[in-house]
Order: sequence, then C-alpha cells, then structure tokens
Amino acid sequence: MCQADDAGGAGEGRDEDRVGAMFSALLEDSAEDLYENAPCGYLSTLMDGTIAKINGTLLGWLGIGREELVGRRRFSDLLTVGGRMYYETHIGPMLTMHGEAGGLALELKAADGTRLPVMATSRVKTGADGSAQLIRITLFDARDRRAYERELLRARQESEADRDRARQLASTLQRTLLPPSLMTVPGMEVAAYYHPASVDEVGGDFYDLFPLTGDSWGFFLGDVSGKGAEAAVVTSLARYTLRSAAVYNPEPVKVLDNLNTVLQQQYRGGEIRFCTVVYGCLVPDDTGCAITLVSGGHPPAIVVRADGTTQFLHTHGGMLVGAIPDARFTEITAHLGPGDTLLLYSDGLTEARPVGGSSERYSEEELLDHLAASAAHGASEVIASLTELLTGFGDGVEDDTALLALSIPLPRDGDS
Amino acid sequence: MSAVDVTTRNNVTVLGREDGPAVVLAHGFGCDQNLWRLVVPALAERFRVVLFDHVGSGRSDSSAWSAGRYSTLDGYAEDVLEICSALDLRDVVLVGHSVSAMIAVLAANREPDRFAKLVLLTPSPCYVDDGDYRGGFSRDDIDELLESLDSNYLGWSATMAPVIMGNPDRPELGGELTDSFCRTDPMIAGVFARATFLSDNRADLPKVATPTLVVQTAQDAIASQEVGRFVHEQIAGSELVTLDATGHCPQLSAPEATAAAIIGFAGAR
Amino acid sequence: MSTRFSTTTSAVPAGLVLALVGELDSSTAPAAQEAIRRLTLRAGDRLIVDLARLEFCDSSGIAALIAARSLAGRAGATIALAAVPRHLGKVLGLLGLADLFTTLPNADHT
Repeated sequence: MCQADDAGGAGEGRDEDRVGAMFSALLEDSAEDLYENAPCGYLSTLMDGTIAKINGTLLGWLGIGREELVGRRRFSDLLTVGGRMYYETHIGPMLTMHGEAGGLALELKAADGTRLPVMATSRVKTGADGSAQLIRITLFDARDRRAYERELLRARQESEADRDRARQLASTLQRTLLPPSLMTVPGMEVAAYYHPASVDEVGGDFYDLFPLTGDSWGFFLGDVSGKGAEAAVVTSLARYTLRSAAVYNPEPVKVLDNLNTVLQQQYRGGEIRFCTVVYGCLVPDDTGCAITLVSGGHPPAIVVRADGTTQFLHTHGGMLVGAIPDARFTEITAHLGPGDTLLLYSDGLTEARPVGGSSERYSEEELLDHLAASAAHGASEVIASLTELLTGFGDGVEDDTALLALSIPLPRDGDS
Repeated sequence: MSAVDVTTRNNVTVLGREDGPAVVLAHGFGCDQNLWRLVVPALAERFRVVLFDHVGSGRSDSSAWSAGRYSTLDGYAEDVLEICSALDLRDVVLVGHSVSAMIAVLAANREPDRFAKLVLLTPSPCYVDDGDYRGGFSRDDIDELLESLDSNYLGWSATMAPVIMGNPDRPELGGELTDSFCRTDPMIAGVFARATFLSDNRADLPKVATPTLVVQTAQDAIASQEVGRFVHEQIAGSELVTLDATGHCPQLSAPEATAAAIIGFAGAR
Repeated sequence: MSTRFSTTTSAVPAGLVLALVGELDSSTAPAAQEAIRRLTLRAGDRLIVDLARLEFCDSSGIAALIAARSLAGRAGATIALAAVPRHLGKVLGLLGLADLFTTLPNADHT
C-alpha cells in the first residue's frame, strides 16, 4: 500500500509538471495584456468622471483613439443623452455616497453613430487614507441581453395594457349588474353601497329596488357563488329573473321558486350554479311600511329600530337558490315605523377578517352590535357607518360586499 | 393631513440648532435626502436643518403616492408647503436642488410669506429646447432617458422592493448607507422623470418675489451655465454664483463651497 | 394535482364512504367533483361523506356536496355527512341545507 502510494504520488507529480508547463505556455499573457484585451471593457476615471485609463477592448467597441479620450473626455460623454442624464442624477451620486453601483444598463455611442448596449459595474478606489481616488468601471457587451430585456419589457407593457382592458371590462360589466342609481320610494329613505373586492374580476353580488303594481315595491340583495365571468352570467340571469318574476307573480315565495327553477334549468347537467338572496316586498302604510321577506340561504336581514336597538329578521329554512329542484322558501313579515331601518347585506362584510392580526372573521353578531353601538339612524347613516367599517377592514375584505338599506324618516320637528 | 402624517409621509428629519433660522433642503430627481449628507454638518452649526424625501423617493411613504398628485411639480410643491406648515416654520430658507429648484419656485410663489430666501442649486426651468431657448435636450433625449429608466429598473421591483420597503425605521443621517440609497419604485421614478424633464416653468420665474440665489457649476451636463444665467436674469434681483466645480450635484462634488454659498446667502441680513 | 386536497373512496357493507381531506375550494373542487362522478352507487346503498379531515370548505365545496346528494338520489341511494366541521354545519344551516343531509358523528357509525 505504502509503496504503491509513493509510486502514485511521484507519477502525479510528473503529470502536474506537464500540465503546468502546458498552462504556462498558454497563459503567457501579462496582467497588462489581460487588461487591454479582456473580454470586457475597462476604464478608470477621476472622481469628476474624466477618463484616466481605458482598455483596448473598449476603444475597439467605440472606434475612438485613446488619445482622444484620456484626460479629455468624461465617461458620461460616451453615453447616450438618456444614459448621461441617468448617470448625472443617479449613478454619480450613488458612487460618491455609496462607493459602488452595479447592474447598470447603459448604451455607449460609438464613433460611427451606432449604439452598443452594455451592463456596467463600477466601484470607487480609495487611497490608504480612505479618500476616493478613482472610479473603476467594467462594461459588458449586453446586446443579446438587451434584446431579451426589450422583449420582456414589451411583454410587460402588453400585459399591463391587457390588465387595464380587463379591469375596464370588469367595471363596465359590474355597472350593468347594479342599478345606476336607486329609485326613490315616496316617504322612504334608501341607500346602497357596493364594495368590489377585486378590480380585476366582476363580483357576484347584486341588489335592486323597483316598483311593483299599485303602491308596493320589490327589492332584493343576493350573492352568486364564485367570481368572474361565469358568476357574472348567473348574476345577470338572477337579477333579470327576479325582476320579471316579481311582475308576473309578486308573492315573494313564488319569486324565489321561479328563480330556483330558472337556475336549475340553466345549469342542469353542468356545474351547479347557485346564489343566496333575500327578496322582499314593501307596502307603505299610514305608520311606515309593511315588509314581507323571503330568504334563500342568505344571512339574516337586520332591523335598526328608532330607539337604537337592533334585531335579526331570521327566515328559518330558506334554502339557497338554484341548487335543489325542490327547494323550499319561507316568508316572514315585519313592520318599519318612523326611524326604523332595514339592512340587507352580503357575507363579504360578515366574513371579512378585520385588520389587527386576528384570523377570526367578522360575524353577523358583531355586525348587529356595531349597528347598535354606532348611533347611525336612517338608511344613509347606516350605509355610511358600514362603508367606514369596510374601509377600516382594508384587505381583510376578501369577497365583494353589497349593502342595501331602507328606512322611514322620523317626522321633523313641527311635523305631526 | 396631520403634522405627524406629513412628517411620516415625507420622512422628515430635523437637526441642527433649534433656535437657528430654518433651512429646508429639497433633493432632486434620482436620489433622496442623503444627497445632502456632506453639506449638512456645516449647515447644522448655524441653522435648523430640515431634510425630507419626496414621496416615492428614499424612505418616504410610497403608499401616499398617487399619479394624480405627483404627475406635475405642483403636487411636490404642495408637499413642501405642508411640511413647512406641519413644522410651523417661518422665514424659511428653501434650498432646492435640480428639479426641486423649480419646486421651490412654485412653493415660494404660492406662499411668499412663508419664505425668507430661495437657493436654487443647478436649476433648470425647462430641459427641452424651445425656439431660442436652449434647455440642452430634445424631446427625443427625454424619451431616451425614460427608456433608460425602464431598462435599468427591469426586474427591480420583485427583488429589491421588500428590502427597501421593509425597513422604514433605520437610522437616518449618519447611519450606514444602505442599498436603498437612491433607489425608488420604477413606476414612480418614471412619473417623476416625466414631471421633472418635461415641465416648463419659465413663466414662473418672473413671479418670484423672494430674494433668490442661483448656484451653478462650471460644468454641468444637465443644467448648463447658459440655463443658470437664464434663471438669474428672469428672477429680478437674484444673485448668481458659479462654483468652480463639475457635475450636476455640487453638494457632492464641492460640498464646502456649496455649504459656504448657502450659509453666506442665508446668513446675510 | 394539489397536495392541499385529496379524496379516498372505500366500500363498506352499507355502501360507500367518500372521505374529503384538506382544503376544498374553487381550485380543488374539480377533484372532488371527479371523485363523486366515479362513485358507483346501487339502489339502497348509503353514501357516507366523511368530513372529519376537511379543513376548509367554501361555496364550491357546498356545490360538490349537493352534487353528491343529487347523484345518490338518482341512483336510489341515500346520503349522510359524517363528522361535519362546526363552521360547515353553521354554513349549511344558514344556506337552508341542514335538512337535506343526514348527519353522523363519524364515518364508522354505520
């Protein structure tokens, strides 16, 4: 073993000698030659940018003689005007204050007018006392890279333009799913708010308020499962079905039966599409208005009474709409007197994650308490208070949120 | 906006003599308040020195940025006025470098009573040539700069943003300069560059009623001596100093001379 | 295939047990729907959907449960949900669907 090792070691030694001799024959270049003919451009400048030293490779790229540059021109003179401005306002200060600047995309202007894209790295050389003496700059030919970057840039610009178009389309489509402005109901105050969770996609919430025969009015607020174009189709279908069904037969349970049938027919065999919705009918009377509500799997409506107390209007057993052929809906009645407000909302609000670290979602109960504590009276104040609440949640609102409030104003002083 | 909001938004730093006259230093395009670092010690001996970052630069609150407010220099001038008001500064000496020289002009014209003096450091009221006026650049040149910004910032946002945005509470002047120095959001930089290099504020110069010092350098690739003279001639009663320095940032290339010029003018009765 | 969600189907004397494991949302619901389509139920079978290890369920998950109920109905089989997570139980109640599903404390309860 020992002997073999020795013999092997001697053999390796002889090989190393041979390789070393071969390398030194190849590596005859001096440091000077390496500088002059390096595969990149080198130059050194004084702190004010005056060129002090420049290598042959860079002179070759520029097609300019050494004597024309050294001591006569500044580095920024070699750049295009845009690059020069960038150098003066950004790179120069970076070098002075930070001592180095890298990853700089610049373009050199050659003597024949052509432009050569380069990537530059520069560093300040300091003397023994720490004072800045020179700026050393290395330049790499970046023609291929720049072409690739242009492609990237173009792709980015295109995608930004596409995104803008998509947002435009989404917002246009969204507007068609909501009434441009709420109708005025004589003797009532109405207010609504829509908070889109995303500017990129059409949301799935919807609401409306519209006149029925005689003195009665229909209203609804709903939420379609999913988002985007497919949900928008269902939203649109739901909104128009509810309005036409209400005219055909205004009885609230029948209106939701009708919507359930339409959604079932539309999506039979395909992906199930459903929505939750509260539909209501209101009839003004001498002391306010009578309300009939029917819910299809939707969070319970809330009444804020004139004295500030709040309560849920539970419609037990109402199933979500469009999922089951034989869905059942039940109706309840309520009365709004002067100062009372009825609020319909979607679960974007009650499922929000309030800011503050907690992963707990907001809830219907907290909403009820918020309204009781807010001292907001009347539809406009209630909507304003909730809009503020939503704004406070910030990114915690993950889903679209629709709010619709109806109230009977209190008689003003002097009225009776 | 509350005083705290304004000082946070613009990352306002106040140092120097509390009882001294207020000197507000406004940095130009491409950098942040660190650019004043070399002149601050001399100024701080005599003045109450107020430094800040324009929204979108340095360690300002980028979330306060909006294209609407900051597409023109007026939005930046409004910020300067809000900073002065938030700190309740009176008889302010406002020093504006590069584009901030014009921002200073706009601010002083809006609230002349607030300012005692203006120092315009390497100013240009208009970078683009126009008839007999030689701003030094063509519209194509400016487009080239914007393109240059685009290619330099390619890939910036993804890798650099967290580093820069994540440390708002680092020590200010005197602290270690970090990679965030002179870094800015590429989109914001593009809008600021447009506002900077495409504005024409020549008509605002004759309206300046505040005593003004124009400081230029002997050789400046961005704002030529000719442009400096133009500014001086347009502002009645202004003084012009040409420093024996090179480049667009004399506060870096000749900090002593720059500080001396500011102190001489600001300290004079 | 997402690792956030998986399904297993096993035959038991009373019929089939379909376990939904992980997070059931719009991105994983297609996998659940596919698993439901492949169930072979005979008349009189009971399909037990085991939700013991279901960590999240949104409206696409509800849609999958409804699809399972429809499939069972067409085959003449019955459906039951086992180990319904509390939040899901609340949502099913809110949506008016609680009565549509028999519930069991766990999947062994056959």
